[in-house]
Amino acid sequence: MAQVSAANTQLLVRDLTVRFPTTRGTVQAVNGVTFDLAKGASLGIVGESGSGKSVTAKTLMNLLPRTAEVSGDVIFEGEDVRRLALQGREHFWGVKMTMVFQDPMTSLNPVKKCGEQIAETLRYHLKRDKKTALAEAEDLLAQVGIPEPGKRVNQYPHELSGGLRQRVVIAMALACEPSLLIADEPTTAVDVTVQKHLLDLLDKLREDRGMSMILITHDLGVARGRCDEIAVMYAGRLVERSAPETLFSDSRHPYTDALLRSIPRIEQPSHTRLEPIPGRPPELINPPEQCAYAPRCRFAQADCLESIPDISGVAGMHEFACFHPANTDRGREALASNLASGRTATGLEISSAGASS
Amino acid sequence: MKQFILRRIAQLVLVFFAVTFLTFASLNLVGDPLFNIVGVISGIPDEQCEAVARGEIEDTKSSGLNMGDCALIAQAKEQNNLDKNVVERYGIWLSDMAGGDFGTSFVNGDEISDIVQERLPVTVRLIVLAQIVALGIAIPWGVASAYRANRTFDKASTVGSFGLLSIPNFALGVILLYFFTLRWQIFPSRYENAGWWSELKALTLPAFTLGLGLAATYQRLLRTDLITTLQDDFIHMARAKGMSDRHIMYRHALRPSMFSVITVFGVNTGALIGGALVVEQIFSIPGVGTELVEAVLRNDPPVVIALISVVAIGFVLINFVVDLTYGYLDPRVRTS
Ligand SMILES: Nc1ncnc2c1ncn2[C@@H]1O[C@H](COP(=O)(O)OP(=O)(O)OP(=O)(O)O)[C@@H](O)[C@H]1O
Ligand code: SF4
Ligand SMILES: [Mg+2]
Repeated sequence: MAQVSAANTQLLVRDLTVRFPTTRGTVQAVNGVTFDLAKGASLGIVGESGSGKSVTAKTLMNLLPRTAEVSGDVIFEGEDVRRLALQGREHFWGVKMTMVFQDPMTSLNPVKKCGEQIAETLRYHLKRDKKTALAEAEDLLAQVGIPEPGKRVNQYPHELSGGLRQRVVIAMALACEPSLLIADEPTTAVDVTVQKHLLDLLDKLREDRGMSMILITHDLGVARGRCDEIAVMYAGRLVERSAPETLFSDSRHPYTDALLRSIPRIEQPSHTRLEPIPGRPPELINPPEQCAYAPRCRFAQADCLESIPDISGVAGMHEFACFHPANTDRGREALASNLASGRTATGLEISSAGASS
Repeated sequence: MKQFILRRIAQLVLVFFAVTFLTFASLNLVGDPLFNIVGVISGIPDEQCEAVARGEIEDTKSSGLNMGDCALIAQAKEQNNLDKNVVERYGIWLSDMAGGDFGTSFVNGDEISDIVQERLPVTVRLIVLAQIVALGIAIPWGVASAYRANRTFDKASTVGSFGLLSIPNFALGVILLYFFTLRWQIFPSRYENAGWWSELKALTLPAFTLGLGLAATYQRLLRTDLITTLQDDFIHMARAKGMSDRHIMYRHALRPSMFSVITVFGVNTGALIGGALVVEQIFSIPGVGTELVEAVLRNDPPVVIALISVVAIGFVLINFVVDLTYGYLDPRVRTS
């Protein structure tokens, strides 16, 4: 994991909280998220649907709807990002920090030629003239491995396959040589065979350009080989953060633990049943003052229902938010007593079948 | 694309035949064209003239006729093919029309092609100007409303646009005329055409009369479509690329949000032509509308038919252009 120090910290997120007032109540989408990202490093953010990954990314990108209530600090290369947003700073997003979205089918403007969509950023931010910008666009298409770039610049998005479109999106995001790229599930919408190509491409581009990256994904396996650090999100909180090796060999949070057991492993025979995580994702409107994972947690004890666990562990190395962390004595004890009684403190029935910790 | 254009041209031809035939037939069946040409003597029974022709009675006062009445009637029937049935006459009319001969007015004998040539350009300029006014107002207005949807400006706009929509054309025309011509004397009270500038001045108020209501319609449609488009991922992407709000609104969101406006633009042309008719009256503009009203009042079917045909062709042509515009707005239409 890349060492974070004041000198090479690129992004600093402190206690980020995002709320959406709705008619049903306030959605607590992101709750006190804190992390750092070193220059040139890559951070994977993993979590199930609704855990607040995209909202976190959108906050960094200033893409939240106006109704969103945001607090906390986001410092990018020494600048207060939220203040830049208020000031309406130009040539920051898209130049220093940019984002790639999940669905390449919809993230390109259907009525503009691919080349034009890339060129417009160059023209707006870098004041290139039309011809230079289009030439550069063609060059970028070549860099992201699109065959016949000269032809593609004049094609409309619907004339390209999903994989090619996502490459166009990537080329578009990279046009102004950003120093941070946020990729929000960039490969979920494309074919499995294309997925690996795209992820490899992102890795290569990141290394070539010394760019940092936040890779958002559902899939711990995807984050494993490609990120210097992985942050696991649950119910709008970062519940565990460490280098991938640590996370995979010595996870602390029971949710990470469950996630790990739900991904297929090469060493397992292919018919091994994956364990889905029982229970439903937590309610984000008026959540009870308790560990959000408790209703689904195999380790849950009475104290888990009394307060929300703070981040603990070794700062910057392996942090987690749990009272009875897995792979520790406290955790083993908690699990053992739950297994003995057949149920957890929230009444979740558990059995030892498949249990590994 | 080629097929699409061919299909559209076929449709255009069909609509042209349908409209002209219906107009032709209805005007021939409802009124008595002979009466319009020769006046009361058209009431002379056919048998009487046949008797004259056979030499049984004389074409004089004594038999209730004026000297030469029957000859006149015969000539009128001959010239206008009134002895033939409607379909035959329609066929003759069509072939004349195809040869550029629109016929002559029953009443004053004017060449109809001259009338069309004189009147049509005025109306076309009025309608084009009205559409320019409407779009020129509606686009920035719709964009501004959608940009901050449900905020103060947008809410005020809703009230404003419904207000505009609820004022009938003639009332708006009279109001504008009162203030801008009578009170402030900014615009001329009479249509004059001494060069393009004087005509532009003369057409400004009528164009606003026609265009303001339309602007309100377009604004409503554009606002709704824009709000939908602004939810799209590619708008988020454009924002993530750091493009300016103005660029995003006008260069990304506008074009995919124009479909309803363009559709109504086409469909509404009929209503606009109708509106032009009324507005031409209010502002005494010598366009197709005024001429059409006059022709109807003076019972002049050939002129009415010719003008309605011209309007119908215009309507179909505009909708044809609108369909081509879809292809411009969305490249996906082009290939499918
Ligand atoms: N504009 C909004 N108004 C209200 N609630 C919102 C809004 N945007 C997001 N949310 C809520 O915030 C929560 C977090 O959403 P987010 O999109 O960040 O999830 P995610 O982790 O990206 O999930 P996924 O994997 O499905 O993309 C969800 O419960 C979502 O319903
Ligand atoms: S052990 Fe307690 S604190 Fe830890 S995840 Fe389970 S419920 Fe939450
Ligand atoms: Mg998401």
